[in-house]
Amino acid sequence: MIRFARIFFAKPATILVFAFFIAIVLIALAAPLLFVRGPLTIVGMPLLPPGAPGFLAGSDVLGRDMAGALAYGARISLLVGAASTIGAVGIGVLLGAVAGYYGGLVDELLMRVTEFFQIIPSFVLLMVLVAFLQPSLGSTVIGIALISWPQVARVVRGEFLSLKGREFVQAARTLGMRDSRIILTQILPNALPPILVVGSMMVGSAILTESALSFLGLGDPNLLSWGSMIGGARSAMWVAWWTSVLPGLAIMATVLSLNFIGDRLNDALNPRGQR
Amino acid sequence: MLVSIQGLTAALPPVADRPLAIDDVSLEIAANEIVCIVGESGSGKSMMAHAVMGLLPRGVAVTGGRILFDGADLLQESPEAMRKRRGRDIAMIFQDPMAALNPVAAIGRQVTEQIRAHRAISEREARQQAVDLLSQMGLNEAELLLSAYPHQLSGGQRQRVMIAMALSLSPRLLIADEPTTALDVTTQAQILKLIKKIQAERQMSVLFITHDFGVVADMADRVAVMRLGQVLENGAVAQILERPTHSYTRALIAAVPKGTCAPLDSAEGKPLVEIRGLSKTFRRGGLFSSRGAVTAVDDVSLTLNRGETLGIVGESGSGKSTLARCVIRLLEPDSGAVLFDGADIAKMKSSRLRPLRRRIQMVFQDNHSSLNPRQRIGDIITAGPRAYGENKAAVLARAADILRLVGLNSESLDRFPHEFSGGQRQRIGLARALMLRPDVLIADEPVSALDVTVQAQVLKLLDDVRRKMNLAMLFITHDMRVAAEVCHRVVVMRNGKVVESGPTHTLFSAPASDYTKSLLAAIPGRGRL
Repeated sequence: MIRFARIFFAKPATILVFAFFIAIVLIALAAPLLFVRGPLTIVGMPLLPPGAPGFLAGSDVLGRDMAGALAYGARISLLVGAASTIGAVGIGVLLGAVAGYYGGLVDELLMRVTEFFQIIPSFVLLMVLVAFLQPSLGSTVIGIALISWPQVARVVRGEFLSLKGREFVQAARTLGMRDSRIILTQILPNALPPILVVGSMMVGSAILTESALSFLGLGDPNLLSWGSMIGGARSAMWVAWWTSVLPGLAIMATVLSLNFIGDRLNDALNPRGQR
Repeated sequence: MLVSIQGLTAALPPVADRPLAIDDVSLEIAANEIVCIVGESGSGKSMMAHAVMGLLPRGVAVTGGRILFDGADLLQESPEAMRKRRGRDIAMIFQDPMAALNPVAAIGRQVTEQIRAHRAISEREARQQAVDLLSQMGLNEAELLLSAYPHQLSGGQRQRVMIAMALSLSPRLLIADEPTTALDVTTQAQILKLIKKIQAERQMSVLFITHDFGVVADMADRVAVMRLGQVLENGAVAQILERPTHSYTRALIAAVPKGTCAPLDSAEGKPLVEIRGLSKTFRRGGLFSSRGAVTAVDDVSLTLNRGETLGIVGESGSGKSTLARCVIRLLEPDSGAVLFDGADIAKMKSSRLRPLRRRIQMVFQDNHSSLNPRQRIGDIITAGPRAYGENKAAVLARAADILRLVGLNSESLDRFPHEFSGGQRQRIGLARALMLRPDVLIADEPVSALDVTVQAQVLKLLDDVRRKMNLAMLFITHDMRVAAEVCHRVVVMRNGKVVESGPTHTLFSAPASDYTKSLLAAIPGRGRL
């Protein structure tokens, strides 16, 4: 654990990026306390520039507080990112583990299913799924999880393929351990590092995907997210830059920091990484 | 003197387990002489080779001494001058020729590239030279070989190609770093002979790095014994082999399995495992294609008696490991029967097999990969009994006893595998197998990854345990010398078939088949140790 922390924070920038990410999480959690009126209430004149009295980040086309909207938007973005990643990792680990461990026909079948998802333009599939399930927070999460899991399944299958040939797994079989127990206690803990890395990167891409969906108006109509803020500000882009640039910056900074953290996790968890 | 190493000292990075990789080593290599550096893993013998080549790994730095090559100090030379020397004056061959050859380039290109990097000659001339060289290395149809890729050659052929490349510029010093360790024993004998012949023809010097005193006895003019970065003893081969002065040298020589059959207690037990007509074929290819089939085990029948050690000997690809894995049902045989205590387990369903599994246990070859790196020893060795529903607290008490039996203390329970040495990890693997109180122990090359002194200890331990627990042991090995020391009976396998079997002393003193004879003749250092 100490070794892990030492490598993880080896680059000084990591501390900054990590602190930034924690700050976004805290703002998201504290949004209802910081902005008691909620993000959808009209509280002033429309299109006030950032720094106007009481409007730290200005107001949008309808006169809603941009700062509050950004904080509430962070809740949606992070929630969708985390929940859909958990879903995708869950499906991916399950199918990847079964395919990699059992191999043969099971593997062939599961991999064909995986490829089926991989060859369909995933964003189009997502739009169809969300439209079909009715736009809502839940359908967004389910949709993103459904288009993201093949990547996890591939990684997990690869790890299982190489780990199941290792002698400690064979030893576990000769001891009479059941397959489920071998998968859970012997192989999975050794396959965790790449899963964690893929997972942390996936949170970032899920946030991007959610933003794109909301931008197109396919997000939950009752919730404000960074993507829907940009979508709503399309018409005012040239007169009030902050209405689209600020949520855009929020998306960019969050995704970048997640990718950076994923990179550092990769270095810290990779046993062949520099010590 | 062609090479004169004087007081060479090289420091390891601060995280290493000792400060110096090479500690004040002086060594001389005369022209037309083979000098062997012999030592166990971590002795610094490979570091010596790399220091002379000027190719020490990153983090290891020479801190003192001189390496004089024909009078010039190699340590003072510029990187560019050293680059020119490599290949032209000093060449090197490595342990694993597959890793040393470029897998995506044809042999011809790799050999000619080497020649043309140093000499301004045309592609055609270089190819002609390559053909000549490969023929000299005893490779037939050298023309054809030029267009082959490394994976299409056998291990012995690859090492011959490596030697051809090393000799292409007629270096005055050839450094061979464990060049035969990855090869089968008969191939090893051929390659050793080749190196010796070429050395004599070309009157060059050879620095030969090895861990095997048998190889030393066959190859060396002079020997340096290294331990922990220091040369303990240095002298003519006859003197070191016959009158070693240092106790460590004596221990090393004593630990070499001699291939003489030690008197074992008589083992006249009842048959416990009977293998009848067992066959296993591997088919490659996926759902829609099949590309060839390899019959790894071909109609093998044998019997393992209670209380005896049965050796299965063979070179790589002989099917001995596949046979073992069929017996323990890590693989399902295609046909034939494995009668264990009367019940045929060859095709038994896994639910019925499960209660029998605990009675057949296995010790693996690779002590790195045979222990789960993320579990503590306590979890690893209690995993078996826990899989059968015993509770951990009760099992832990027994685990401490078993650990003591294999020579480890109970504090080991809370530690992780990487905190142990190779020999200790092998003991842990044995403890894991013994926890289930098996009747049959399958040992798949249990000592081939270990240093000789550790090897001797583990072999003794296996024999003690077999006796104490009245185990039947199936002992898989490629090393005839090891088989002779621990086995009551030996089965020789080749290409999936049993070539010959019989009591160990009969098989070693009067082998019936030519193949067994050739295996025995190939044992390095035979008759000299």
